Amino acid sequence: MQEALLEEKVVKIASVNGINVYHIKTGKFKTNTINIFFHDTLSRETAALNALIPAVLRRGCRSLPTFQQIALYLEELYGASFDCGVAKKGERQIVQFYIEFISDRYTSENNNLFEKAFELLFEIVTNPVLENGVFKTEYLEQEKENLKKLIASRVNDKMQYAVEKCFEEMCKDEPFGVYEYGTIQDVERIENGMLYSRYREFVETLPVDVYFTGIIEDDKLGRVIEKLSGISRKNIKNVEKSRIDIGAKDVKHVTEKMDVNQGKLTLGFRTNTSPDNDDYYKLLIYNGILGGGGFMHSKLFQNVREKESLAYYVFSRLEKYKGLMAVSSGIEIKNKDRAIEIILKQMDEIKKGNISDYELEATLKTSETGIKSLKDSQLQMVDFYLSQSIAGIEDNFDEMIQKAKRVTRQDVVEIAGRIKLDTIYFLTSRNKG
Amino acid sequence: MKVQTIQYEKVDEILHVYQHDSGLKAFVIPKKGYSKKYATFATHYGSINNEFVIPGETQATKVPDGIAHFLEHKLFEQKDGSVMDKFSALGSSPNAYTSFNQTVYLFSCTDRFDENFRLLLDFVQNPYITEESVEKEKGIIGQEIRMYEDDPGWRSFFNLLDAFYKNNPVKIDIAGTIESIGNINRDVLYRCYNTFYHPSNMVILVVGDVDPQKVFEEVEKNIKNSQSKPDIKRIFPEEPRNINKGYAEQKLAVSTPLFQAGFKDNRLDSRGADSLKHEVAVRILLDMIMGRSSALYNQLYNEGLINSTFETDFTLEENYAFSMFGGESSEPVKVKEKISGIINQLHRDGLDRATYERVKRALNGRFLRQLNSIERISHTFMSVYFKQVNVFDYIDVYDKISFEYVNDMFKSHFDVENMALSVVKPV
Repeated sequence: MQEALLEEKVVKIASVNGINVYHIKTGKFKTNTINIFFHDTLSRETAALNALIPAVLRRGCRSLPTFQQIALYLEELYGASFDCGVAKKGERQIVQFYIEFISDRYTSENNNLFEKAFELLFEIVTNPVLENGVFKTEYLEQEKENLKKLIASRVNDKMQYAVEKCFEEMCKDEPFGVYEYGTIQDVERIENGMLYSRYREFVETLPVDVYFTGIIEDDKLGRVIEKLSGISRKNIKNVEKSRIDIGAKDVKHVTEKMDVNQGKLTLGFRTNTSPDNDDYYKLLIYNGILGGGGFMHSKLFQNVREKESLAYYVFSRLEKYKGLMAVSSGIEIKNKDRAIEIILKQMDEIKKGNISDYELEATLKTSETGIKSLKDSQLQMVDFYLSQSIAGIEDNFDEMIQKAKRVTRQDVVEIAGRIKLDTIYFLTSRNKG
Repeated sequence: MKVQTIQYEKVDEILHVYQHDSGLKAFVIPKKGYSKKYATFATHYGSINNEFVIPGETQATKVPDGIAHFLEHKLFEQKDGSVMDKFSALGSSPNAYTSFNQTVYLFSCTDRFDENFRLLLDFVQNPYITEESVEKEKGIIGQEIRMYEDDPGWRSFFNLLDAFYKNNPVKIDIAGTIESIGNINRDVLYRCYNTFYHPSNMVILVVGDVDPQKVFEEVEKNIKNSQSKPDIKRIFPEEPRNINKGYAEQKLAVSTPLFQAGFKDNRLDSRGADSLKHEVAVRILLDMIMGRSSALYNQLYNEGLINSTFETDFTLEENYAFSMFGGESSEPVKVKEKISGIINQLHRDGLDRATYERVKRALNGRFLRQLNSIERISHTFMSVYFKQVNVFDYIDVYDKISFEYVNDMFKSHFDVENMALSVVKPV
């Protein structure tokens, strides 16, 4: 029978040459996962290069030099899944390599899928297909094209775009203003030699976190740690925390025009709250009451949508590491000023303490449910622990829930006072004024 | 209380089944160690049921398109306000969806399961519909219909269904049209509700760390109707075997063209576990021919004709079945031609047994992975339940399926005469 009732906490099992290795012991899933994260400072000079690296690496490795061969091998490993991605957490760019595979107990022979999966991931990351000492030209060229198309398709999801663009405008002169995939021009300028030397630096100097989930025997863990120790490493880069305390300025207004029927409005705020401070919990609850978590009783949902019928969607969202908050909504273009008025009024109501018992309690309850639910997914658990470590917080799930539940109405009012409007971004139609 | 327990040792899962006097079955799949508890209450009634004979009557009743979905919206409104608020107060998240052949109501919570469960059983069994609320809803659903009209993925899918089917109601938009919902009134909503929302036509599933005994006791206490009801006669129009048209095109605001192609499947006699076998066979074939490890996929990718958005799928229900494959592409027609070329070649050369074994093993592994997620288990369970099977029946199918059967399925399903293409192009 499965060991379903393990405690499921994260244990750091090794730290070698700037590579931290963690094990989350969990017995309730049918699969295990291996995640390798590379951390870099988000910057205009390196964003596109860092984004192109995983795209080129996934095309092949020394022992399996084509994508097809990798896909064939994954099928043999009982349909294991491999992927890589790029993300932005505050002013940090994270490149992730991940593989998920079923536990040996579900295979017909005792397959040792863990070690095979790890070998594959390790090969892909450290042993790319080279041609004349640099990346295979065909892979580089094709993936440059794909990356350019991916960047161009940002505008297809206008709701997401309107939030990202607002933050990018807000932080134009800060590292946070950089899009994690770079720009089309940046990608165009990339040459093979340049990418390859960036890749060497990437593997040799960036801080790395490795997370294993599942039940893995010590001797297997020992062997993979040894392999990781074998990676040639130099001076490990120090990736700084995001700067949160940016001084007050005049509110910036930014308008962008596209072929849209509906306007997309985003208000960007500085919360002046750092995630490694217990005040962060007050901000979490504030956000829930205002318009976070798809919570239907939120002030934004009730007032912007239900009462005024101005919008089909309206929400508030925190960017925790950089201390930002976005309030975003899809509205009729002509209703822009009215929408801004109502949004700011809701925030004012909270400042004045006009928060009902129901609003507070329902938010506390849904926040608790949200935190507890993270444990039902391996990827979400890994993301949780990774985020905690980036923010510099030690709290585990239970501590988080306890701290969130202790937030009072007064706490929410206090935190409301710190939130300052920075930028109003509006995506509107080309045709209308 | 008649309770049955089935152990699926191979996958470390258990299924508890309870049969209520009304004919309704309730299931519990315990998931020890998980925080979420997920309950679904569904009816075998969806967008394709626009013509039926009400038990006790002789004449058929025809109802406007989109009514099953309309009814789903209406059920959330109660005399004392929206039932969503009551769920929020309990810290849980309610939801619902209407598909071609079922309407599903559900909630997800981590605490106070009993209260949430009672609320679910209560609101689904107690409709409160006024003429006024029906009119108000027409506006809201109208907006929803508009939203789907602009969704390129949705449009390319429905245009493909229209290319396959001349008469089958599966091609009708689930929410209906602005015109069709205009004809919905309180009376016809109640007629549909009373016909289809009888416990004998419904099912309950709870997945999570719960006590099955307690769940079944709640069901016994809270299901109102204890008499079973005769079967509802569902009427479907005659559908010709050949496809309606080979090509469909629509222009929308997209950055690159999007396409869906597929095969209409006329082999509609599979029932029970055989329907799962049919489905698994086609999925294996799709992966063999155009999955990520196939020569075809890699050729198309390397030529820049497809990208990582390319996916395949297969649907099989009582009176319709089709495969579907597509994604973004600058030249959809070329992709379709290359695919049919390879398929014709395979008909000549035959399929490779080693490829079959490898792909089958991979798909089996991916099926197991689904069992990690409470939501996926529930969704898959519901999608097969009304075919008289449960999600764990797939295990046996993967065990017993044969290369001979799959080969046979290749001949019948992958017939280029039955292939259609639907494209959404930039304006």
